Amino acid sequence: MIYSKREHINFNVTLRLLGLLLCIEAAFMLVPTITCVIYGEYYDLYRFLISVGITAGVGLLMVVFTSQNNNSMGRREGFLLTALTWIFFSLFGALPFYLCEIGLSVPEAIFESSSGITTTGASIISDVEGCSHGVLIWRAITHLIGGMGIILFTLAVIPMLNKQSGVQLFNAEVTGITHDKVRPRISHTAKCLWAVYIVLSVSLVLLLWLGPMNFFEAICQSLSTISTGGFSTRNASIEGFNSDYVKIVISIFMLLAGINFALLFNLAIGKGRALFKNDTFRWYIAIVISAFVFILIDLFINGEYTDIKTLIVDTFFQVGSAITSTGFTGSHFSQWQGASIIVLLILMLVGSCAGSTAGGLKIDRLMIIIKNAKNELYKILHPNSIMPLRANGKIISPELITKTGALLMIFLIINVIGSSILICYGFDTFDALFASISCTCNNGLGYGVTASNFTSIPGIPMLIMSFFMIVGRLEVFTIIIIFTKAFWNKE
Amino acid sequence: MKIIIAGAGEVGTHLAKLLSKEGQDVILIDSDENKLHVVDSNYNLMTQTGSPTAFKTLKTANVKDTDLYIAVTPFETRNIVSCSMAKGLGARKTVARIDNYEFLKPDYIPFFKGIGVDELIYPEYFASAEMVSAIRNTWARNWFELYDGELILIGVKLRSNAQIINIQLKELALKSHNFHISAIRRKHETIIPRGDDHLEIGDIAYFTTKKEFVSQIIELCGKTVTNVKRVMILGGSRIGVQLAHMLGDSYKIKIIELDSKKSFKLAERVPENTTIINGDGRDIELLQEEGIADYDAFIALTDSSETNILACLTAKEFGVSKTIAEVENIQFIPEAENLNIGTIINKKLLATSKIFQILLDFDSSNAKCLALTDAEVAELVVKPGSKVTKAPVKDLKLAKGMTIAGLIRDGKGMLVSGNTQIEAGDHVLIFCLSGAIHKVEKFFN
Repeated sequence: MIYSKREHINFNVTLRLLGLLLCIEAAFMLVPTITCVIYGEYYDLYRFLISVGITAGVGLLMVVFTSQNNNSMGRREGFLLTALTWIFFSLFGALPFYLCEIGLSVPEAIFESSSGITTTGASIISDVEGCSHGVLIWRAITHLIGGMGIILFTLAVIPMLNKQSGVQLFNAEVTGITHDKVRPRISHTAKCLWAVYIVLSVSLVLLLWLGPMNFFEAICQSLSTISTGGFSTRNASIEGFNSDYVKIVISIFMLLAGINFALLFNLAIGKGRALFKNDTFRWYIAIVISAFVFILIDLFINGEYTDIKTLIVDTFFQVGSAITSTGFTGSHFSQWQGASIIVLLILMLVGSCAGSTAGGLKIDRLMIIIKNAKNELYKILHPNSIMPLRANGKIISPELITKTGALLMIFLIINVIGSSILICYGFDTFDALFASISCTCNNGLGYGVTASNFTSIPGIPMLIMSFFMIVGRLEVFTIIIIFTKAFWNKE
Repeated sequence: MKIIIAGAGEVGTHLAKLLSKEGQDVILIDSDENKLHVVDSNYNLMTQTGSPTAFKTLKTANVKDTDLYIAVTPFETRNIVSCSMAKGLGARKTVARIDNYEFLKPDYIPFFKGIGVDELIYPEYFASAEMVSAIRNTWARNWFELYDGELILIGVKLRSNAQIINIQLKELALKSHNFHISAIRRKHETIIPRGDDHLEIGDIAYFTTKKEFVSQIIELCGKTVTNVKRVMILGGSRIGVQLAHMLGDSYKIKIIELDSKKSFKLAERVPENTTIINGDGRDIELLQEEGIADYDAFIALTDSSETNILACLTAKEFGVSKTIAEVENIQFIPEAENLNIGTIINKKLLATSKIFQILLDFDSSNAKCLALTDAEVAELVVKPGSKVTKAPVKDLKLAKGMTIAGLIRDGKGMLVSGNTQIEAGDHVLIFCLSGAIHKVEKFFN
């Protein structure tokens, strides 16, 4: 009704949907439960069952105690629901880590869980190989859920959101400046993107299984790669497999997962030309190649490696791991020095194409900012010139450029805050910066003190970093907006 | 169903939003990206920037798999060309919006079919046709003829002299089976009435009836039939000219137009019984000079909805019995309805209704024929074995907010009462509140 009074924020529908989503998370937790049964790890089985019970119980309570009617959703509810979903998923996802045999403390469990959900892949567990299969698969599953996005998954499977409100959620969660829809209905778009995701994952499982990995490890590694997460089943990450085949296959799939999934979908249905005409994709390839060549030369001159083959494979792997924000360690890169490590840091910050599973600022934004800077410089010499900014064959409006600039600013401020906090807790300046960028860009690589795992971070900054991971995953605005006055003010 | 809409103007956008809410796959095309931006980020549909008359655009939008292609840009030639191209690329059905009455003549239908345009819609024509029926039936607020006049839907504002006020509808139904009160509009709210509801002063009641019982409704509502002979039109728009042609020789028509150049042009285009006055219609003295008090009907068709509403109110003050206002801002319509303006015309809603009708012909499973402000009138074809055929209407336990108003069986209109048994193959006319349409579908599938 036109004149019926609308609530400022409809908490009813927000909580109801959140409850439903938690039930979905509980359903995902059944996977590790079953895994425990298969591998006979009964000591963790009942702990997973408790986690499922708590998550599903809270979810069901939320659904039962909210009204079925009153389902109007606006912009505010869209942002609030998306933000709360990610936070709640991280909190409830931490239950197994807290309860199970490995027995992490509360901040550690939350860090591990948000690191998984946001596909950061920074781990707190020093002895991964000592974990039960259930815990390992749960780490991979959190990547799976978070990689493509919880909301996007829900859009694909639950028809309830296939309407206007679904679009708001889609926009709040999917990365990138503008959001490509592949099909007219939002649920079809979500299904198409998930299809790409699943096809990539399954092919990688098969390829790794053919190699030196067993089926279980292949699944874990594959989910971790395609979601550009970074949790591994080995203490030394991918390095632990000690196989060039694994490194090369994973490198290729990481780079594939860094491409806009909408473009991959078009490629699959025979519209491949769109991919090669796409500016972002070209920049992506160019950045990967130049970074690869640069580090290769730098390492070669410094004489870090004696074996050329290892040098090429390791560099290729590490460049892919950094730019796609996967954060696998496949080399002794923590021994790298100077220029190479700075290039890695820049790659982490830049990230891959928008619309992929990767984190970071995204090449689309970098491209806009650089092109805009070029235009501005040209305008100083030719004040009367009109310079439209073209990206991917479209004109980018000045509002979008401003928005991109604002995002970049907030992103940098967050990293300044993040690294300052770590420095206050006694971290080395560069290590702190590296760790902070690694978290906000959902990368998960560590350098210096965090090289092998993040256990050295104390409790409180650990929680802050977990929060920054979610901020980074939802591309800043979706979370930050909830802390603005305008969001809660009625005027 | 896959639908492509070319042109994100008012009609295109409105249509895209509605169809998307109906659950159709909608792609909206326009060459101006700014027009698409808001729609794209807020509605469940896809947008595409590009010219509707470029093969490249049409191919990217996948026209070959499209069920319905609707061209509603402001330019009729562009629409026709675009439809023709879309048909050539494999669209199943095409609809073009036009501005020229001549194109609608039956002689030319084969020509347009030949070049790939299946249906033409001319919103100005619908608006004029609606006004003609409003002028012929001045006592009614709305007058819709369905299925070639087999069923008639009439909206009547009830005053204190109506006989049916404050009587429960179930008692009313005992006295007469000649009409069905399908919806009541009370203040800002639309009510789908049940047996224990009653009518109040100031309500607009929607009757579904047949032609032969119309006089009975006039009597029950305490209305008198005035014979309109003199019509004053404010604003020399295309609709005005179209209306002057459609009304015919028996009327005296006066058009007031502000722009002097336009007035001269108008004078060439209108029939002989029409006088053109060049002046500002907002000027009360001018209206008085032109003898507004002696007119039977006043129609305001300027570009500004506000002017139209106010001008009609002024005309009412002068004692004009029937006023009609064109209100293009959909948000204003409920407000305008509460003011005492007789009939409100909205081109967008009319065009949308027509396109929904085309959809119905195309895919009879789900479509609406009329959109009232917050209620919908759906026409549905009953499938064999569906839930509605299982019992007489009174035992169906229809959901709240929906009612079956009438049906067409073998081309004949029938009113529905509690004892009516619906059969497969009937076309059923259903009233429901916006958003309840999915509940309706349950009964028909």
